Amino acid sequence: MRARAAEAWVEAPLQRFVDDARVQFALLLHPSGQVLGQFGFTRAVDVMAACALGAAIHASAGELGKELDGHPFRELYHAGRDRQVFIAEAATARGALVLLTAFDAESSLGLVQVYFRELRDALQHAAPPPVESGPALDGNFEQDLNRSLATLFGRAQLPAPGDAGSHSPSA
Amino acid sequence: MPLVNYATREITCKIVYYGPGRSGKTTNLHYIYGQVPNDRKGTMVSLATQTDRTLFFDFLPLDLGSISGFNTRFQLYTVPGQVYYQSTRKLVLQGADGVVFVADSQARQLDENIESMQDLHANLAEHGMDVRAMPLVLQYNKQDLPRDLIHNTATLDDALNFRGVPAFAAGALHGTGVFETLRGISELVLRRLSTSGSPATPSTAHAGSR
Repeated sequence: MRARAAEAWVEAPLQRFVDDARVQFALLLHPSGQVLGQFGFTRAVDVMAACALGAAIHASAGELGKELDGHPFRELYHAGRDRQVFIAEAATARGALVLLTAFDAESSLGLVQVYFRELRDALQHAAPPPVESGPALDGNFEQDLNRSLATLFGRAQLPAPGDAGSHSPSA
Repeated sequence: MPLVNYATREITCKIVYYGPGRSGKTTNLHYIYGQVPNDRKGTMVSLATQTDRTLFFDFLPLDLGSISGFNTRFQLYTVPGQVYYQSTRKLVLQGADGVVFVADSQARQLDENIESMQDLHANLAEHGMDVRAMPLVLQYNKQDLPRDLIHNTATLDDALNFRGVPAFAAGALHGTGVFETLRGISELVLRRLSTSGSPATPSTAHAGSR
């Protein structure tokens, strides 16, 4: 299985980390919970759930660190029965990223921490500056949106806002 | 801004349901979850107390399919409504691409609605987000309760909707207005992608799996 990335510059460093640290799952995400790269998951929606939880753990640990220590906790480790989880933050030119990884007895916390440092350095070097691109969608996306939501919810085509359900503010 | 992958033509948007405690945010997500086929949704994650009050957030990932050639996914979140979960709300709001403000239409809850709206604005400002630019819709929930217990939509508009954003009457427990609300915020969020750019690298690979 190969690591998969939403942005190409993430893919090689993440794959190297997975191979070297011998982890079972790895997620690289924005602190807001948006996935940048993943290894070990088979469904996109499962990736999103893991990202949401990982981002939440990281964010709450950071806030707890500020309360207790005056500084955010940047790394966190959980020992489960069969698997262990390591969560840590890496600063890049594209902003802070969070790594969430799970591993079993094939690896160890020390190994994961060592290769996380390498991943962090590789990401720092590989990160391109942010690029502002043009509009992604054409102006007629509403028809596709209506069709998609209607299909999703097993309905006939939904009315446009203003036709039903919504109203103009009275103020 | 939503995460856009131009190479694989994928869009991921984060939408947060905000509002006072017991206004019906989680009920919205439960209803959506119950309607969407399994192959278009992920597991609904609820971090709740033993009495089913939202402790951290609820989370529901949705796959909308292709929109203008982009495979589009939404991440729906709720925040805990109770006043003392202020710091948690702020964390969940981070990186939001759109907000649904779920107001409780009951007359006795008007002050809580206003306080929660002020809290939303304060938290957006703390994240450095432009409150006026953030896609926002209002949902006036519990409009199915007896008339003498609730405010009508005009009164709620006067109290809450000073931006003049789309507002939807709803009874989320039975699904009334839930889809219309989701459609409303979806359109606002995606419209931003049809009129402005999004931070992304031009050369990208695939992150998710299907």
